[in-house]
Amino acid sequence: MLPELVPFYHDRDSKKHMTFVTISQDICHWDMMLRFDTLKTTKRVLYRRRKRQGGNMIVKVSNLVKRYGDLIALDHFKLDVAEGEIFGLLGPNGSGKTTAINCILSLLTFDKGEIEVFDKKMTPSSYDLKKDIGVIMQNVAVIEELTVYENIDFFCGLYVPDKEIRKNLVKEAIDFVGLGDFTKFYPKKLSGGLLRRLNIACGIAHKPRLIILDEPTVAVDPQSRNNILEGIVRLNREGATVIYTSHYMEEVEQICTRIGIMDKGRIVAMGTNEELKGMIRVGEKISIEFLAADPKDYVEFVESMPYIAAVEVQDRTMLIKTERGHNGLSTILTELQTKSIKVGRVYCELPTLNDVFLEITGKELRDGKEK
Amino acid sequence: MFWHNFSYSLKSNVRDKQLIFWTLAFPVILGSLFGLAFSNLSGTDVFDTIQIGVVNTQAYQADTAFQTTLAAVSKSDNTAGDPLFAVTQYASLEEATKALTDGNISGYIMEDSTLHLYIRSSGLNQTIMKEFTDWYLQASSAVSSIVAQNPSSASEISGILSKNITYISETKSNTNAPNDMLTYYYALIAMACMYGSFLGMKQVMTVQANQTPTGARIHLAPLNKLKIFASSLCAATLIQYISILILIGYLAFVLKIDFGNQLGYILLASFAGCCTGVSFGAMVGALSKKGEGVKTGIIISLSMLMSFLAGLMVAQVKYEAVKSLPILAYINPANLIADSFYALYYYNTYGRFFTNVGFLFGFSLLFYFIVFLVMRRQNYASL
Repeated sequence: MLPELVPFYHDRDSKKHMTFVTISQDICHWDMMLRFDTLKTTKRVLYRRRKRQGGNMIVKVSNLVKRYGDLIALDHFKLDVAEGEIFGLLGPNGSGKTTAINCILSLLTFDKGEIEVFDKKMTPSSYDLKKDIGVIMQNVAVIEELTVYENIDFFCGLYVPDKEIRKNLVKEAIDFVGLGDFTKFYPKKLSGGLLRRLNIACGIAHKPRLIILDEPTVAVDPQSRNNILEGIVRLNREGATVIYTSHYMEEVEQICTRIGIMDKGRIVAMGTNEELKGMIRVGEKISIEFLAADPKDYVEFVESMPYIAAVEVQDRTMLIKTERGHNGLSTILTELQTKSIKVGRVYCELPTLNDVFLEITGKELRDGKEK
Repeated sequence: MFWHNFSYSLKSNVRDKQLIFWTLAFPVILGSLFGLAFSNLSGTDVFDTIQIGVVNTQAYQADTAFQTTLAAVSKSDNTAGDPLFAVTQYASLEEATKALTDGNISGYIMEDSTLHLYIRSSGLNQTIMKEFTDWYLQASSAVSSIVAQNPSSASEISGILSKNITYISETKSNTNAPNDMLTYYYALIAMACMYGSFLGMKQVMTVQANQTPTGARIHLAPLNKLKIFASSLCAATLIQYISILILIGYLAFVLKIDFGNQLGYILLASFAGCCTGVSFGAMVGALSKKGEGVKTGIIISLSMLMSFLAGLMVAQVKYEAVKSLPILAYINPANLIADSFYALYYYNTYGRFFTNVGFLFGFSLLFYFIVFLVMRRQNYASL
């Protein structure tokens, strides 16, 4: 007997791709998926709009080389980010994302290459450029002895000298990150999620045109992570161009209009989410739980079905990859029913950026391990 | 922009409990402990004329040499200040004993065939009286022998005795009473000034992108970080200065430590000490790439070593260190700070004071120059 399945559409326009979730899944998970869906729709609309506008290049990086002794951290790294984009820089830990960002910001020296921001060469003393850049670093950078309000006001004050203007900006930033009830709190009294929000508020209060976020959701709970991601989309909607680095592919998929996948100091693939996934062979990934029978006994049987790219077994679950452009779920389930095989949970998902990364580099995206 | 950063630096530093503990609370606590430890010693170091009695016996009336000697040490002269003894004659032993019992005199002398000293307790006054009578007995014995051999030299010898006794009382010739305790308190102030290093170190770490995330954020602001650093340092120096003034106020008004009455110079010496302390910490912060813990350790170790050599633990160390290695008097900032207060208190001229203060400001400039050389770079090879 098949469990009751509820369809979840990844793309509401075409309704082409769907995921079945069992009714046993909890409400929170369902709610989160809906939120992601909203974000994705928003970003697509934005991306189409920006494309129509033509988009000036806000950041141009060419042939950037950065060495730490014998280690090449950036190997002829290239990057173009257009105005209005949310550009995602995705890669495992140690792939060079943070180094690239630090070089773009002129925090780090580099051996070779050119960096332009707002069509001007970026140098450590490019103060006219820096005033339009907001940075949210991976580590929380706030002053422990100042309250939430004071922290935001202090960092905003480094960009905006006028006290009256700053007052409004600080208030807006506080409202934006939802820290209105915590303005008099000291950072050590804030939870990890609230602290991250404060970190973001300190970086964006001066309303920069370019916002660079370096893994802002590391060690953040799911609810705060959603708030942060929604906030980034809102900032983009208000006119900011965003560069977002992460090793969480789900986040990048959700909010980024264009994605660059990094490995060993260079970008190995770049494009929209769909474009990147179109580069690989896998169409769908199907996971079927066998309740009674041993899935190993049916590997050959499934492999013999049409458009099956690969079959693996993990404990009592069979993992099946179909070829791109072919949906095999209903066929597989029907065939298994003919053999009277009882199945439990069934999942079907589209290829992820991890699959893209795996196919391009031979490694898992999340931990960078060779596969 | 200066005031924006200055005011927030003031706020953040004042609220930093650890910093305030080391720069203010710890020296105050240590000063209080000094106060408790030295409370029984303080009275002994201040010299007052000693009230003594003499029983007017027949032997005493006949001993003109002793009478002359007593008169000599009981007489005030311009160079020696107050006399050593104030002598009261008593007609009988009972009267003298009563005066001693009543506390009117520290002791009395009764002469028969020899001198007898009567006291009720021990102390500096009694020790001096004992030393005096012992010395007189020895000297008179020697003189008697000389006179027996050469009678013509008697008057000359009597004069020599008087001069010798006058010489003994010359220890009171300075304006301020000698007080070893002051060395400890001055060294304590020096230590407190050097603990301003914690403030200096914090300011450097706050703006260095390769040391703290906050530094990275400040580095990315559209401002020269040296300007931000300068305003932070001004705030740090002000906090340190106020801390030192509170400490001096506490020592002066609560523990009754005498700093003399040259307030302007005291403020100047304190300011020079604060500048040196804060700049020293900034230099350690800039030069070392180690973590905050290591830097704190370096600062505590060096500050304590400097303060030790300035006499914080053993007053005599200050003199011995400078005697063994005279250059220490000029290269140890803690010694310079302590010695500035010392020079103000003991000397009527300002040569030594201004030399010390000049060296302190010189060191501050040197330390800041080193900090500038390290911090002037705008970006880093690694973070």
